[in-house]
Amino acid sequence: MIEASGSEHLVAVAAKKKLSADFRKKGILIALFSGLCYGFYTAFMTLGMSKGIWADWYGANTAGLSAFTITFLLGALGAATTDTCSAVWALLIAVVRGKLGDFFRCLKTKPGLVMVVGALIGGPLASTAYVVGLMKAGSIVVPISALCPAVGAILARVWFKQELNARMMLGIFICFLASLMIAIPSLGGDAPDGMFVGICFGFFAALGWGFEGCVCGYGTSMIDSEVGITIRQVTSGLSNLIILVPIFGMMSGDVNTLGLVVQSFTDGASLIYFALAGLGAYGAFMFWYKGNSMCGAALGMSCNGTFSFWGPFCCWIILGVIFGLDGWSIPPIAWAAAVVMVIGIFTIALNPLDLLKKKEDM
Amino acid sequence: MKPLNYAMLKYFTRVNEACADDVMAALKGEYSHFKAFNKGDMIAAIMTAEANGLLEETRFDMDSNKELRVYYRAHEEGAETINHYIKD
Repeated sequence: MIEASGSEHLVAVAAKKKLSADFRKKGILIALFSGLCYGFYTAFMTLGMSKGIWADWYGANTAGLSAFTITFLLGALGAATTDTCSAVWALLIAVVRGKLGDFFRCLKTKPGLVMVVGALIGGPLASTAYVVGLMKAGSIVVPISALCPAVGAILARVWFKQELNARMMLGIFICFLASLMIAIPSLGGDAPDGMFVGICFGFFAALGWGFEGCVCGYGTSMIDSEVGITIRQVTSGLSNLIILVPIFGMMSGDVNTLGLVVQSFTDGASLIYFALAGLGAYGAFMFWYKGNSMCGAALGMSCNGTFSFWGPFCCWIILGVIFGLDGWSIPPIAWAAAVVMVIGIFTIALNPLDLLKKKEDM
Repeated sequence: MKPLNYAMLKYFTRVNEACADDVMAALKGEYSHFKAFNKGDMIAAIMTAEANGLLEETRFDMDSNKELRVYYRAHEEGAETINHYIKD
């Protein structure tokens, strides 16, 4: 079907090739940038949860919070504070960019509702499964959750008929191995009882994130990615705050959940870092969706999967180098894993036969 | 009023083929005040729809300003998907 008309055939072909190549390159860069944003989001959220009132909750604990409350309720509250800040960023950016009207218009439509479902599954559900998995099975859950690009690529193949061949599957496997390498230093004798259940939760998290990346990535082929991310962050922030935090609050027993929420949102010393984490989360998910929709779930999610490296990297830069906190240096194996990840991404993105063809053309 | 991206996709279900300039001309009346109503953003949205199988390229040429002009269409399955998710 593709043909150029008129006497400027060659110029048109060259311009068309450039347009397609630039679009693909931009998609890959956006997806990679989402991984970097995810790193900043993780680092600033971790920093926020070590400052102000959080330093007391996780340190001296003058409020006398139980171990369950500290692990689960505070974990959910940290995520809720970050996601709510991110939702505020998303709404502000939508106002500035003139997209607030489309945000409300999209909410009432089928693609908008699909984005809401994706945000609920990938937001509170998968994130909670991840936290529970970590508690039950230890850090083996980290690489298991990194299976999400494989899940996303398979779902995208089945539901949206996206390309997934043997070479791309090999690339996804290489990226998974790289995530496993990064987790190796933290693996060891930290697996408590109920490891199998924990691994199942970790796999559920991978399913949830795979579903979200695939479905919401496809969703942004219909909905503007900035509108899509506003739907995502508002859904995730509200559901974390209204559903997840109260549930963990009730499970925590005799604890003033509302009091903890109010303190979290009024503590200036930590809130500034949650605001920065929220901005990072906005970029992480917006570029994730956009990258997936531009270059397909397999490649987009694998590029985003570089957060396995960017997470520790940004924590090292921000927490270790800038704030001088101990224990945030990057193990050498993480650098090696970053190289392996790049090899994995190239394996997914580039067909060696295409490179050979290009050489022949020259 | 539909979101801009929806209106753009729906337009492709009503015509045989169109380029970004055609879409902009058709939607100008209702959407010209939108900040996202610019050629760069429209082309990116169309190419994203193509990457996800909603649209397909039909042909391309150079316009009178020596700018590349790519035409797309919503094939049967793409039009069905667009109409399934986006109601009139």
